[in-house]
Amino acid sequence: MFEKDIYQLIRGLRAHKGAERDYIHQALAECRREVRTTDLDAKATALLKLVYLEMFGHDMSWTSFNVLEVMSSAKFNHKRVGYLAAVQSFRPDTEVLMLAENLLKKDLGGTDKATIALVLTTIPHVVSPAMANSLLGDLLTRLGHSSPAIRKKTIVTLYRLALVYPETLRPAWPRIKERLLDEDEDPSVTAAIVNVVCELGWRRPQDFLPLAPRLFELLTAGGNNWMAIKIIKLFSTLTPLEPRLVKKLLPPLTSIIKTTPAMSLLYECINGIIQGGVMEAAEGTMEGDEVARLCVNKLRAMLVVEGDPNLRYVALLAFAKITSSHADIVAQHSDVILECIDDPDISIRTRALDLVVGMINANNLQGVVERLLKQLRSAGQAPITADPAQDRGMHSGIEPLADDDDADMQTTIRAKEAKSGQAPPLPEDYRTSVIERILEMCSRETYAHMNDFEWYIGALVELVKQCPATTGIGSFGSHHEGSAKEASSIADAVGDELLNVAVRVKAVRPEAAAAAQSLLLFDRREEMFPAAGSGGQGVLSPAAFIAGEYAALLPSADAVLTSLAHSSSAQLPPRTLANYLQAIPKVFAVLTSDQQAAWTSARRTNTTLLIARLLHFLEPLTLHPDLEVQERAVEYLDLMRLASEAASNQPTSEEGDGYAEPPLLLTQAIPSLFTGMELNPVAAAALRKVPLPEDLDLDEPINSDLQMLLQQADDDASDFDSGQADEVFRFYNDKPSAASISQHHQKPAADLLLDPPSSAQGSRSSSYQHDAETSPLDRAAAKARQRAERRERYKDDPYYIDPERDGSGTSTPTPMHNILRSANGEELDVDAIPVMELKLEAAPAEGERSAAAAATRRAPLLGRKVPKRRFEIAGDETLEGGVEDDVVSAAAVNAGRTKAAAATAAAVSRAKKSLLEVDSSGLSSLSLSDDAGGASGRNGAANQLDIERRRAEEEEMARAIREVERLRLEMQRAQERIQPRGVPEEGTVVRRSRRKKVKRVEGLAGDGDGDGGEGGEVTKRKKKKKRKEGEAGEAGEEVVEVEEAGDGDGGGEGEKEVPAKTKRKKKKRQVTFEEA
Amino acid sequence: MINAVLVFNNNGQPRLTKFYTQLDTAVQQRLLSEIFTLVAARPPSSCNFLPLPPLLAPSSRTSTEHNDAPSLVTYRHYATLYFILISTSTESPLALLDLVQVYVEALDRLFENVCELDLIFNFETLHAVLAEMIVGGVVVETGLEKVVEGVRAQGRVAKRPVNETRGGLSQGIWAGR
Repeated sequence: MFEKDIYQLIRGLRAHKGAERDYIHQALAECRREVRTTDLDAKATALLKLVYLEMFGHDMSWTSFNVLEVMSSAKFNHKRVGYLAAVQSFRPDTEVLMLAENLLKKDLGGTDKATIALVLTTIPHVVSPAMANSLLGDLLTRLGHSSPAIRKKTIVTLYRLALVYPETLRPAWPRIKERLLDEDEDPSVTAAIVNVVCELGWRRPQDFLPLAPRLFELLTAGGNNWMAIKIIKLFSTLTPLEPRLVKKLLPPLTSIIKTTPAMSLLYECINGIIQGGVMEAAEGTMEGDEVARLCVNKLRAMLVVEGDPNLRYVALLAFAKITSSHADIVAQHSDVILECIDDPDISIRTRALDLVVGMINANNLQGVVERLLKQLRSAGQAPITADPAQDRGMHSGIEPLADDDDADMQTTIRAKEAKSGQAPPLPEDYRTSVIERILEMCSRETYAHMNDFEWYIGALVELVKQCPATTGIGSFGSHHEGSAKEASSIADAVGDELLNVAVRVKAVRPEAAAAAQSLLLFDRREEMFPAAGSGGQGVLSPAAFIAGEYAALLPSADAVLTSLAHSSSAQLPPRTLANYLQAIPKVFAVLTSDQQAAWTSARRTNTTLLIARLLHFLEPLTLHPDLEVQERAVEYLDLMRLASEAASNQPTSEEGDGYAEPPLLLTQAIPSLFTGMELNPVAAAALRKVPLPEDLDLDEPINSDLQMLLQQADDDASDFDSGQADEVFRFYNDKPSAASISQHHQKPAADLLLDPPSSAQGSRSSSYQHDAETSPLDRAAAKARQRAERRERYKDDPYYIDPERDGSGTSTPTPMHNILRSANGEELDVDAIPVMELKLEAAPAEGERSAAAAATRRAPLLGRKVPKRRFEIAGDETLEGGVEDDVVSAAAVNAGRTKAAAATAAAVSRAKKSLLEVDSSGLSSLSLSDDAGGASGRNGAANQLDIERRRAEEEEMARAIREVERLRLEMQRAQERIQPRGVPEEGTVVRRSRRKKVKRVEGLAGDGDGDGGEGGEVTKRKKKKKRKEGEAGEAGEEVVEVEEAGDGDGGGEGEKEVPAKTKRKKKKRQVTFEEA
Repeated sequence: MINAVLVFNNNGQPRLTKFYTQLDTAVQQRLLSEIFTLVAARPPSSCNFLPLPPLLAPSSRTSTEHNDAPSLVTYRHYATLYFILISTSTESPLALLDLVQVYVEALDRLFENVCELDLIFNFETLHAVLAEMIVGGVVVETGLEKVVEGVRAQGRVAKRPVNETRGGLSQGIWAGR
């Protein structure tokens, strides 16, 4: 006997408050015992208890065999429990499924209606393609059952069967259609059929056009709102195929809209009219105009109606659906839609926001963004998880806790009264999406709608404050994880926007720099980043870049430098810290490089102090775990040391006679590291336009005797002292190689500084050039490396700066320019990297390169009120041709991508389908028209596709077979090399392959005659499916099979050489061989 | 089609879980708790449609109007219970709300002034009623009478055990939303 029934279990659970876990484990143990007894009553009860506990997450898959036992009981009450357990607990990998098949067939053929219904509702949950094939016949007979309840369930079950086994529809569809057309059929059966047809409809609408008259009849007959909704939904997919339907549909739809009391039906009517394109189709006619006006007015009414948020939500949903096709209609109602972004309900707000992004223009942009900002500001930052009661489910999973409040639970279930709707705190994902939308709206079409960039910069700074705290608190300071997490944070996006504005809009650069300063200043950290955790931290990285790049525009460069080098900065995530490190010397250069002022002792003291502070900051960072940070710290630490030395060695004006020059290192060298060409935005597609050099071979080793080179470098290092003078000479006078530029393009100025282009060629034939026969590329790479090594060696040498450059070193011709000019002249380097070459082609036409010369675009403001200020917005730079070309090419690339995506969509959809998704794509290839299987005129196109796909598959197969053939040949040759001919082993090989082959040929024979007839398509499709889904293992298996078969070909060397053209051919060949 | 029907109470304890695809128990629980977290955060005045929980969020933006992926999470809150429907775009959002109403009304007919306790103890009946309305994710019946009739045809509907007392409850009026 069993220890407790289901009531006792539940009651026990409720009695064991706080100790449910133990109680459940005890109960599970009992159930385990009970399901193994021979008493079916005990089994059934135990199973019911297990099903109850399964609901709370306690796996019961271990008991699947007992489920089957209970299902096969003669008593209905047992059966009911068993079938319920099967539905709730069977998974695709449940092994007893095979055994269940016969039971299902038996119960399905029984006389008890309740049992049949049980089976019918269970099949959709457990069916597999193989089972579907075997159950199909039994189900079809149930279609003629006397009870409508059985018939309607059978129809739906057949639909689910068709999803896993599309061939179901071949015999089933004509009979289902017959039921649908039968006017005496029970209305609920008809409704069930309509539901199924609606599910099938969007996959293959053309097959359902013949049903239109009957569906129309059902629609006008009325009576069942659910069915009417489904019919309208179906019609909205049919009207694009059959324009005549529109005229027919208009009167009944109009009358439904006018008369129906059901809001759901009214809404679906409007939705159907909009989606089915009825509006355009009927445009111009009186009815058409009327219905369009009617729909739009109703939708508008739904938006403004008080007290029903659901209507507002679905109306926005409808607007969203037509926004691409009927942008004008949506725009007409922008006033009410805009109101919805302030709706108390976040679902509605999100929907409205989706729409609003598309309706932005220059006039309403600021207003909308201000409203959203206000929303963010006023909502406060309380996260939704603040309430532990709400949070419980997230962490511990749901436990069947004892119910806290029995009285509460006995409340009759009825709709809750609306309580006072106080503004809820905004969830973080909503916050994030609002910020994303704001950025999207503002930056749309390269700031086409932006009138006031000063305002925009202010808004961006405000957005930083509103960034939600990132959930991972550990990301702050934990290095590797942190950088990954940070990459996607919304604050980064805000920072990138700020950077984008600073780069593109020259006019507001001072404002942008000021904004960057305000973000960076340490004193204001609290104020700027109120969010707990590291919410807005992502913005620091771009802000540091702006501060560095436009350091001259900073209102208070000194304060920024102090904040950048503050000891707390060292705790920032590595990516940010790396940017900080890069910005520090830039700001430093601005502070110390004043050439005009005399080198007074006060200035010297200031400079030395500043340098000392930076040294103090940089020193510990040379041991930073992140390599990028470490490298930059090491570089700049040494630069600072040099600067420190230079500063203290330079005599001041007090020491000397009157005026003293500041040290050249500070005024010339360091600034020239960072100033040079202006940074311009580069189009994303520009890189793609760089042509591939013809002689580029990535498989070829760049330097064949790298080992020797390294060895040499070591030797050089050891006898460095002896050859110092020569090396220094060569170091400064070597011609710059293009490869070195490309290698170090991250910091080109730093490299190029060391290599004045007007060089003497004399020292070329030195010991380093010993491998003259290697390719120029090799030489260049080696040279670059050597130079790096030399620089390392000379890092402590304060006199490494070339006097020649210093002499001509006024600010205009930067080293970069020199390089360009010399490369363009008689010393044109053929090995120069293509990027540089291409830029040069564009450059002469443009003259001096500057932001203004780049392709610019103005906000289209014509015809509107003149804004306060006009901003020039720099467009993206690209190669060969202007923005338009680029846009076209980008579009082409996109189009190509979409096409490719569409082509692979079918295959991919299987791989990444959604969790709850029931895949119905199998249906799309199955024609339901009367002459099923044949290529009727209407389905010509679909069949064409089918054929093409099949051909592609066959080609792929042929390719695979060729590959296998090739490999096999190789293997055989290898084997021949190893084994002497004629030894018994070969005989064994043949025998083995023969055995295998017999099996294979059987399968092939079935396939072969199947290809002709109708049934063949079934097997073929199944095979194909299997392969598509196929794991690697399966594919491998197939290959092996083919290989074995090939082995059997024995000595026929000639035949082997001929690659099989198609799979079919291959098959035939094998068959003939077997017969021979 | 409808992908899942869930019923849980104000504390997130499940009272009914029905998935029309085969899903691991652990994944079911995760989905349940994700939806509960979403639904519990909503003030009573908000609309009855939820954003997709993280588990169901689409992996890529598909442009097609219809597809097989669930895109709609509809819920209704009755006293202590939440009723959740997860469905694809072929279902009408407002009609699904009516469907939940029919479901609850059918339960009310069968139990007379149904309350959460009834559903705890008779979860088998809960499943039976659902099976009369939805088979394999497709709605087969929306008529209240037919649903009740169908469940009654399978045998007597058990009442809650006698020794579970019930408080002073009066009329079960269905204030539909």
